[in-house]
Amino acid sequence: MSIWEKAKTIDRRIIFLFMFLGVALPLLIRIGLPVSVTNDVKKVYDYIEGLEPGSIVLVSYDHDTGTLPEMLPMSDAILRHLFRNNIKVIGMALRAEGTGIGRQNIRRSGAEFGKIEGEDFVFLGFRPEITAAILGLGTSFERVFPKDDEGIPIRELPMMKDINNYGDIEMVISITDDDTPVYWVNYANARFKVKVVAGLTAVMATTFFPFIDSGQMVGMVAGLKGAAEYEKLIEKRGRAGRGMDAQSIAHLVMIGFIIIGNIAFIMRKRGK
Amino acid sequence: MRRSFPILVCFGFGTIMLAQFFIPSKLSTGAYNEITNWVQIIYAFALIVGVVGLIRYHLSRVSRRQGGWFFNLVTVSSLFMMAFLGFVWGRGDHSPFMWVFNNMMAPMQATVFSLLAFFVASAAYRGFVARNIEAFLLLFSAVMIMFGIASIGNSIPPFSDIANWILMNPSMTARRGIFIGVGLGTIAVSLRVILGVERTYLGKE
Amino acid sequence: MKCFFLITSFLTFLFPQAFAFELNVSDQPNDDGTRLAIRWDPLPPDELRPIDPESYLLLRSEESDGEYIQVDIVSSLDPSREKIDEKLTEGQPYFYKLVYSDSAISWESNVAGPVAPEENWYNTARTNVLIGIIITAAFVGWFIILGKKGKSLYLRPIAGLNAMDEAIGRATEMGKPILYSSGRGKMERPASIASMNILGSVAEKVASYGTPLIFPNNDPVVTAVAQEVAREGYTKAGHVDRYDPDNIYFVTDSQFGYAAAVDGIMIRERPATNLFFGTFEAESLILAETGNSIGAIQIAGTDSSIQMAFFIVACDFVLIGEELFAASGYLSGDPQVVGTLKGSDYLKVIIIILILFGAVVGLLNQEWFVNLFLTA
Repeated sequence: MSIWEKAKTIDRRIIFLFMFLGVALPLLIRIGLPVSVTNDVKKVYDYIEGLEPGSIVLVSYDHDTGTLPEMLPMSDAILRHLFRNNIKVIGMALRAEGTGIGRQNIRRSGAEFGKIEGEDFVFLGFRPEITAAILGLGTSFERVFPKDDEGIPIRELPMMKDINNYGDIEMVISITDDDTPVYWVNYANARFKVKVVAGLTAVMATTFFPFIDSGQMVGMVAGLKGAAEYEKLIEKRGRAGRGMDAQSIAHLVMIGFIIIGNIAFIMRKRGK
Repeated sequence: MRRSFPILVCFGFGTIMLAQFFIPSKLSTGAYNEITNWVQIIYAFALIVGVVGLIRYHLSRVSRRQGGWFFNLVTVSSLFMMAFLGFVWGRGDHSPFMWVFNNMMAPMQATVFSLLAFFVASAAYRGFVARNIEAFLLLFSAVMIMFGIASIGNSIPPFSDIANWILMNPSMTARRGIFIGVGLGTIAVSLRVILGVERTYLGKE
Repeated sequence: MKCFFLITSFLTFLFPQAFAFELNVSDQPNDDGTRLAIRWDPLPPDELRPIDPESYLLLRSEESDGEYIQVDIVSSLDPSREKIDEKLTEGQPYFYKLVYSDSAISWESNVAGPVAPEENWYNTARTNVLIGIIITAAFVGWFIILGKKGKSLYLRPIAGLNAMDEAIGRATEMGKPILYSSGRGKMERPASIASMNILGSVAEKVASYGTPLIFPNNDPVVTAVAQEVAREGYTKAGHVDRYDPDNIYFVTDSQFGYAAAVDGIMIRERPATNLFFGTFEAESLILAETGNSIGAIQIAGTDSSIQMAFFIVACDFVLIGEELFAASGYLSGDPQVVGTLKGSDYLKVIIIILILFGAVVGLLNQEWFVNLFLTA
C-alpha cells in the first residue's frame, strides 16, 4: 500500500493529535496574532456606546456549561462595556444551567465596577419554555419573574420599580449556543419591537447573518473571535485574545490536513 | 373521544393564539397572558414526569443488573446528590452545589463540546476532497472561510474580503432559500396540526 | 435674554399661528386601550431659542386645569419627538403639556387634549401578515381537499427517505439495533412534530423486522410522545409485544450531557443504523462523527441550516430543508399530508415571483414594495 493509499485510511487519532498540539501549544506559548474588528461586532459596540447612562439592558444567559469556555469571554467583555458606561443590567436565563453561569458572571462583572445588586443590576433567575417566557416578558416582567433569583419580590428591588415590560428596556442580549436568538427575534423583536443582539458560538454565527441584514437584529458577537474583537473595542484584552491564537492555529492545522487529503486523492488518481 | 378531544383542544388553542396576534384588545391580551402562563406550568410538570421517568428507567436497570448498570447507578446518585446539595446548602455563589457545578459539571460538558474541534478536523479531512467541480467549489469556499476568518488570514485583505464575500453572498443566498423552505414547511406542519390532519404525534388511534 | 422672551411672547400673542409650538395627543392605534401618543414640534420653541434647554418635562392631568403629574423627561435632541404614555385607563380623557422652567424663565406649551385611549379589536398594521396567512391557508387547504378527494399528487423521490428501508434492512441483517434521535427540539417545534411522524413509520417497519429501536431523549415531553408514537407503530405492524418502552427514555436536557450519553450508547450498543431527525445544534457533528466511526449507516434531517452542513459531511443521506417536513407525507403516503406539501410548493413559486419583482423594484429605488412587508 502506497503512502497515498494509507493517507485515505489515516487513523483519526493522528488528526486528533495534531489538532491537540495546534490548540495546546499556542495556549502555552503566546503568539499575539492581530485581531481586526468586523462590522457585526462594531454594530453591537456602537449601539451600546450610544445608550444613555442609566438605560436598561436585558442579558439572557441561554447556554449550557459545555460552551462556557467560548461564551464566558464574550459575556465578560459585553458586561464590562455595559457597566463601564453605567448601563443597568437585568440578567436572566432561559436554560437551567444558565442560572448558575449568569448569576456568577453578572455579580463578578458588577463587583469589578463597584456596582450594587438590586440598584445597578439584578439577576432574575431561570424560566423554562422559551416561547412562553419571551412572550410573557412582553406583557410584564413581574408576571414571568415575580421574584428574583434570591427570592426577593422584584417590585422591592429599586432598579425594577419602574420596569414593566420590553418598552422600558433598550435591548436584549441573548448569550447562547443555539438558535434561541431566533425566538427573541420572532417574539420579542417582531411583536414588541425590542432591539436584539446575539452573543453566539462561532458554529451558530452564519444562521444569523440574514437577521442582521434584514435589521431584525442589531448585530452579533460570534465565538472567541467576536469576543476578541469586542475586547479590542473596549481596550481590555482578556481570555478571548489568548484563545484566538489557539483557534487560528487550529484552523491552519485543519487547512493543512485538507490539503494533504487532496494531494493524496490526486496522487491516488494518477497511480490508477 | 380519546383522539377527538386532543384534536379539538389543539384546534381551539391554535386558533386562539393565531387570532390573538391580530386582536390587541384587553380580552385577547388577557387570554394570551393566561395561555403563556399555562404553558410554563405544564412544562414544569413535564420536567417532573421526565425526572420520574429517568429515575425509574435507571433504577430498573440497576435492579436487573443489566450491562453497564454501574453507570445507571452513577446517574441516579448524581441526580439525588445535586438535589440534596441544593436543598440543604442552597445555590449561593460559594455553596457546595455551585462548587460541583463549577468544578465537575462545567469541565465535563466543556470536554464533550471540545470534541467538536477534533471531529470537525477529521470530518473535513474526509469530506473536503475535490472529486468534481462542485466538491472543489465547496472545498475552496471552506478553506477561504477558515483562512479568512482566522486571525492570520483576517489581516490579509484579499483573503478576508473573499471570505466575507462568500459568507455574505452565496452562503447567505443559499441559507435564505433554505429558511424560506423551512418556514413554509413549518407553516404547513402547523396548519396540519391545527386542522387535525396531522395526528401521528397523538399516538394511539 | 428676558427681553427676547418678552418680545417673542408679545409676537406670539399677535401672530399665534406663525409662532405657535404645537403639542398633540392622539390615541395610540392597534392597542388594548391603555396608550396615548404625544407628539411635539421641533424643540426648542422660539421663546426658548436663546437658551435652548436640554430637557423639558412632559406632564399629564385628567382635567385641563387640574393637577398635572410628570410623565417623562423629554430630551430636546430626541429625533422621534414622540412619547407613548402607557398604563392609562380606557375611556378616561387626558390632558398633556410640556413645560420648562429655571430661575429666569418659565415656559409652558399649549394644553393638548382631552383624548381618551380607545380599545382596538383589530391590529391594522398586521393586515399584510393576515393576507399572507389567508393565501397560505387557502393553498394548503385547497390541496388538502384535493388529497381528500383522492387526487393523485406527485412527490419527487427523496433519496434519504428511499434509503430508509435499506438502512433498516441492514440493521436487521446484522442483528444490530437502530438508534433514533430527534435532537434538542421541544415538542412544539415543527421539526420535532415532523420527527415524530417519521418515527411512526420507522417503528412500524422496525416492528415487522423485529429490530430493536433505541431512542435516547433530550426532552421529557418528546419522550412521552415518542413512546406513544412508537407503540402505535408497533401496533400497526401487529407486533405490539415487541415494543419495549425502556428503549425510549429521557436522558437529560443538557446539550453536551445528551451528546455524551448518545455517543456512549453508540459505542456500547454499536447500532447498524443511526437516524437523526429533528432540531440539532452543536452536538450534531459529535453524534454523526461517532456514528461514522462505528460504521453505521446514517440518515439525517434537520431544520437548522448550519447543522445540515455538518450532517452532509458525516452522514450517508441528508434531508435538505423542508424535505424533513415532507418526510411524513412521503413515508405515510397520506394524500392529505401530501396535499399540504403541494400547497407549500405553489407558495414557493409565489415567493420566487415576489422576490424577483422586489429585486427589480429595488433596483429602481422604489421602497413602497418593501414597505408592504413591514409589520408592527
